[in-house]
Amino acid sequence: MIPHSFDYAAATSFADALEQVAAGAKPLSGGMSLIPMMKLRLAAPERVVDLGRIQGLNYIHQDQAGIHVGALATHFEVETSALLRAGCPLLSETAGWIGDVQIRNRGTIGGSVAHADPSADYPAALVALDARIVVASKRGGERTVGANDFFVDALTTAAEPDELVKEIIVPVETMGTSYQKLLQPASGFAIVGVAARIGQDGHGRLGVTGLGARPILITDATDLAALNTTEANSDIHAASAYRREMAKVYARRAIAAARARA
Amino acid sequence: MKIAGTQTLPLSRECAYRAMQNPDVLVQCMPGCESLEATGAQEYAMKMKMALAAISGQFQGKVKIADAAPPERFKLIVEGTGKIGFMKGEGALELTEAGEASTQVTYEGDVQVGGTIAAVGQRLIDTTAKMMIRKFFDKLVEVTAGMR
Amino acid sequence: MATTAAPPATGKLVGKRLRRKEDPRLITGTATYVDDIKLPGMHHACIVRSPYAAARIKSIDAKAALETPGVVAVYTGADTKEVGPVPCGASLPGLRVPHHYILATDRVYFVGHPVAVVVAGDKYVARDAADSIEVDYDVLPAAADPEKALTPGAPAVHPEWPDNTAFTYHQEGGDIAQAFAEADVIVKQRITSQRLIPTPMETRGVVADWKPGDKALTLYSSTQIPHLLRSLVAGMLGLAENKTRVVTPEVGGGFGCKLNVYAEEALMSFVSMKLGKPVKWIESRRENYVATIHGRGHVDYLEIAAKKDGTILGLKLKLIQDLGAYHQLLTPVIPTLSVLMMPGLYRFRNVTADIVGVFTNCVPTDAYRGAGRPEATHAIERMVDMLAAELKLDPADIRLKNFIQPEEFPFATATGLTYDSGQYDLPLRKALEIGGYAALRAEQQTARVAGKLMGIGIATYGEICAFGPSPATPAGGWESATVKVDPDGKVTVLTGSCHHGQGEETTFAQIAADELGIGLDDVVVFRGDTAIVQYGIGTFGSRGTAVGGPALYYALQNLKKKLKRYGESALGSDDVRYEAGQCICNKTGKTASLAQLAGASYRALKLPPDEEPGMQTTFFWEPPNFTFPFGAHLVVTEIDRDTGRIEIKRYVAVDDCGKIINPLIVDGQVHGGVAQGLGQALYEQVVYDDNGQLLSGELTDYAIPKATMMPWVESHHTETPSPVNPLGVKGVGEAGTIGCSPAVVNSVVDALSSLGVRHLDMPLTPEKIWNVIQQGARA
Repeated sequence: MIPHSFDYAAATSFADALEQVAAGAKPLSGGMSLIPMMKLRLAAPERVVDLGRIQGLNYIHQDQAGIHVGALATHFEVETSALLRAGCPLLSETAGWIGDVQIRNRGTIGGSVAHADPSADYPAALVALDARIVVASKRGGERTVGANDFFVDALTTAAEPDELVKEIIVPVETMGTSYQKLLQPASGFAIVGVAARIGQDGHGRLGVTGLGARPILITDATDLAALNTTEANSDIHAASAYRREMAKVYARRAIAAARARA
Repeated sequence: MKIAGTQTLPLSRECAYRAMQNPDVLVQCMPGCESLEATGAQEYAMKMKMALAAISGQFQGKVKIADAAPPERFKLIVEGTGKIGFMKGEGALELTEAGEASTQVTYEGDVQVGGTIAAVGQRLIDTTAKMMIRKFFDKLVEVTAGMR
Repeated sequence: MATTAAPPATGKLVGKRLRRKEDPRLITGTATYVDDIKLPGMHHACIVRSPYAAARIKSIDAKAALETPGVVAVYTGADTKEVGPVPCGASLPGLRVPHHYILATDRVYFVGHPVAVVVAGDKYVARDAADSIEVDYDVLPAAADPEKALTPGAPAVHPEWPDNTAFTYHQEGGDIAQAFAEADVIVKQRITSQRLIPTPMETRGVVADWKPGDKALTLYSSTQIPHLLRSLVAGMLGLAENKTRVVTPEVGGGFGCKLNVYAEEALMSFVSMKLGKPVKWIESRRENYVATIHGRGHVDYLEIAAKKDGTILGLKLKLIQDLGAYHQLLTPVIPTLSVLMMPGLYRFRNVTADIVGVFTNCVPTDAYRGAGRPEATHAIERMVDMLAAELKLDPADIRLKNFIQPEEFPFATATGLTYDSGQYDLPLRKALEIGGYAALRAEQQTARVAGKLMGIGIATYGEICAFGPSPATPAGGWESATVKVDPDGKVTVLTGSCHHGQGEETTFAQIAADELGIGLDDVVVFRGDTAIVQYGIGTFGSRGTAVGGPALYYALQNLKKKLKRYGESALGSDDVRYEAGQCICNKTGKTASLAQLAGASYRALKLPPDEEPGMQTTFFWEPPNFTFPFGAHLVVTEIDRDTGRIEIKRYVAVDDCGKIINPLIVDGQVHGGVAQGLGQALYEQVVYDDNGQLLSGELTDYAIPKATMMPWVESHHTETPSPVNPLGVKGVGEAGTIGCSPAVVNSVVDALSSLGVRHLDMPLTPEKIWNVIQQGARA
């Protein structure tokens, strides 16, 4: 498993990283998706800029806008952050379902979000949370994109090639939440994963991953019709019909679990 | 892998049919297609650069149009081979009039994928194939906007 | 610093639950595997493999690769035609054996087929250059499914044999026609045992080191069979065996897939001989999935005949074995082991079996943990459960009714085996007792009323282990041991078996330490270097301790005789005994320690009459029979009706592997075996598409069980010593795998029986179960 040769530079700061990305370098964060693709030679970037040594971009702090999670926060940090567990438990719970502990120790929220894998866990939570994703570029500075607009298609986001995810802003939770996932036993990716935010009245929002090319947002948790999509994913692990049904089953479970916590 | 679907184009059937036989249009609409060079009647040598997030690869192959029955139906055969794998797709497209300057395209076919992308990319192949078809038609609508 | 040395743990180490001597280096990352070997001037090889399952090679253009700075050579099939072929050790009547070149010549036969090798000064250059080799293929239709490959008009894997049939094999015993004529009930079922990928943590790897001055080859390889590898690779290369040395460093898992001789072992040797440089090749995981053998690959059509009371009369089997494109070392032998196993633990003596070995454009199948026996046990135990369901008998009762009884041993089976001993009801009764069978059945009734899908599954198994008597084993079935006492009295065991995770470094030390009355740490167990170890057969088929152990035992007895003679000489008496690490004069009580005796044997001043200097014995032991372990596994499952997910609530394993030398290691073997059995039952599946593309080509898509997916295995034992060897051991490496899959599937089918389900093929994925539940709900 040897990749094509590539130039490597470790960014010294976020500004340095933006400069290198603007010059065409492929950003490397935790490397949980990019490195395997490079080793399999499915990806062959000429230049890689390593974000991993940028200091301080793994912050998790709170202000009146919500809880800010720096792009380099690892899944494990998100999973175990006391601030998130208290203020946005859905994000912590979702992070705890990603891969295995080694992956959670290496992978970052920024990297996962930017990669936009159709079976990744975070997108479900982020659309349900109506999270905001702050992206930045040397060219245009910072801008904020709503999660539901950010995830465009499979492996495709609203971020331009020269933009990096800087942080994710999630609201301080007021509802009960739960993430329920049927995982594919080989990879640990979601066959379907449902993030629910439900009030005591049973109303609320859902985000669903694994079913389509991008996360599906359901703004009225009492109406699951959107899960009957004809575009449901299919692979050797689960055909479309099963995925659709499981999305409903796990949606009901997530709703019930979230409501119980409301 | 079986693929099937329908797509409505804001074009008359004749116009839609002509567009989809036109290599200058196809080259713009097929995702990643860099060139189509005629090698025979309705047969073209294709160069394609697939790029999906970090995944990228060069493909060489051919595009062939067969069983043409203008303006109702034709068969589109696409073959490509590259270092990351190879694919062969065969689709039957049927065009039906759906009102004035509107055509419904129904497609049905089979895509065979091999090599590394088939062996390690199972999770994404179906999703990617659907996405590429979506992009094809979106671009077709865009490219043919002036032809309405 | 004052320390208190613990007294040496002498005597009675056998039977103790001891931690393994080998574990510290394994778990601290300080062990040496093939990839850790770095030799001066070593080059690196990368292999170009076919992306197609069937194609003609029109041309190979290696110009760009050869022009790449750092590349020293590229070889293709045209260069290596004289090497080999890759050997098949099977000799079935009428067996069609395709010539298996080490590199493809004019055609490729499966995805992964090696086509060319690039050699460079570093592995990165080699890998890049491999990508630059242009192979022009004329792609041909492929036959990927064994049953489809048998239909007329299917693409021929090997054009010279259009029926894709490598062999047919028939075996029968008793009077099957009469058995079926007398039957009150006949149950038929098609049962598959899907293709699996062994997936050892360490992939294969080879370093070949040809020394031009010595005209001698040293081959480092991650193998289970260093000596057989030496004999066969020497033959492939035309070398003398005394100029060929195989070294097996640490092996990170074999599971049968390294019980083989592979093209790459000869290919790297060829390259090293051409270049006069050491050459390393380490298999990537991607390659491992397409270049190392797969396991299983059965389609079985079974019919079982019985009386109304559950007495089994006979069994018919038609076995379609997916062989893949070539015969590797034992490929065609594996399904014949399934046939041997057909009677299971049962008394019926009427059997007929027909095997069709089918070529497919897929990776060859061969031995994978259990090798033919899990497939057979799975099929038989499924059939017995289906028979019980048909007759509305309890699955435990029908087994107890049909077991061979203790007084019937030795028992000649319909397939020609002689079962030596056993009390087959013991493990089952124990499993039922530990599981609380009656209470579980009551709980199941309650659960059903509440709409829950709870299942209880039982599987009992008999195994053929300790391969084996030499007439039944392609390359000899004995094993060897040398015991050396150095002048300081420390002991080295050289074993011809080649443990690679089975723990013989510890269990053999236990045996030697007990016999010699010394401490565990006074013994070093060494294996895996043909220049140091006398010839041996290797480790596979649960034979390491069961055949290698007795060889060691007899070598130790001879050593003790020798020690005693030196003791007589040292103590000046003919009335001495060897005990607790010393010779003691029975008259005077004077003693001579092991170190003194060994020292005297090397100093050789006072040799006993007719005795050689030195303190070393070697014993080659030929086993008189196989061993026949047996056991019972009981599995409780609950199925999530909404999703089809299976939860294993209880897993009780009661295995009788004879005398237990180290219970901790035996439990480890059972746990590991069960993990791989669960892999087959629930998760693992090799998926080839119709074109022979391997779709489950990486660990992202091929689901081996992980620690978090394992249930707690309640591992228990009954201990019925084997009469075949003086240690009473039988072997346990494969037991867990053999007992597991039928117990799990029986449990799940039991859970779903209320929906009319009588059989399910593996793996039992949630989607499959969910679909079954949906159909059941509709019916």
